[in-house]
Amino acid sequence: MGYVTAGYAFAFGGLGLYALSLWWRGRRGNG
Amino acid sequence: MKLFAQRALGPVTLVLLGLTIWLGIWVTPPDAVQGNLARLLYVHPAVATVALYLSYGTATVASALYLWKRTRSMTLDRIAEAAVEVSLVFIVLTLITGSIWGRPAWGVWWVWDARLTSTAILGVLALGCLALRRANDDPVVRARRSAVFVIISAINVPIDHYSVEWWKTLHQGATVFNPGGGLKVHGSMMWTLLLSFVSFSMAFLWLLRARYRLSERQYQNTERALQEALDQRRAEVTN
Repeated sequence: MGYVTAGYAFAFGGLGLYALSLWWRGRRGNG
Repeated sequence: MKLFAQRALGPVTLVLLGLTIWLGIWVTPPDAVQGNLARLLYVHPAVATVALYLSYGTATVASALYLWKRTRSMTLDRIAEAAVEVSLVFIVLTLITGSIWGRPAWGVWWVWDARLTSTAILGVLALGCLALRRANDDPVVRARRSAVFVIISAINVPIDHYSVEWWKTLHQGATVFNPGGGLKVHGSMMWTLLLSFVSFSMAFLWLLRARYRLSERQYQNTERALQEALDQRRAEVTN
């Protein structure tokens, strides 16, 4: 299950981090 | 109604993504051949599909419409920019999840296989497009060059798609359908697989909208700063 956990963590975590970066860039007022 | 749909997009996407994780890890049975490893089926193909077809497809259509004089608008340029950036994120996640699946299934993290290589090239092209946009200050020149670049680079999408048929690759062929059109996956595995396509597509729409709004705000800030500078200069000349 280690590979499965890693795969899910990267896929969902990666999207979450990108969403967070968009929110942060929006707060800073730059694209 | 439109406002409700826009506000509901985020929460609905989160629920669907959560449902995909729950079904993918705890509800669906292990595969007869790959065991638990097959649970990556509910992540990797959907992420790859969104990266190649939905994201890059959106960028290509928006770029083509921008280049066409009758439909040209900066809104299309901003949609293309947002789609390329979101596409890059999905391409990177495709390569990472594929690599994580490849290590136990093939015995290697990476191989210069036609499918893997063409996907990596698409990622480099998406990065190149974003770099090209940064190199131009004139919004019209930037939009035109970026649109041409996206359309030329999109030639790599069908190459990536057919790479598993045109060359002998380690990567498997079609995941969901047999060459005759019949389904390869059944029962709860099929429903979870279909759900993963829906949930990652929704995630794409949500991220695209957020990224587009960011571009719009940046454009408005630039316009405001320019107007303020012009007003200041006019005031100096008048005084």
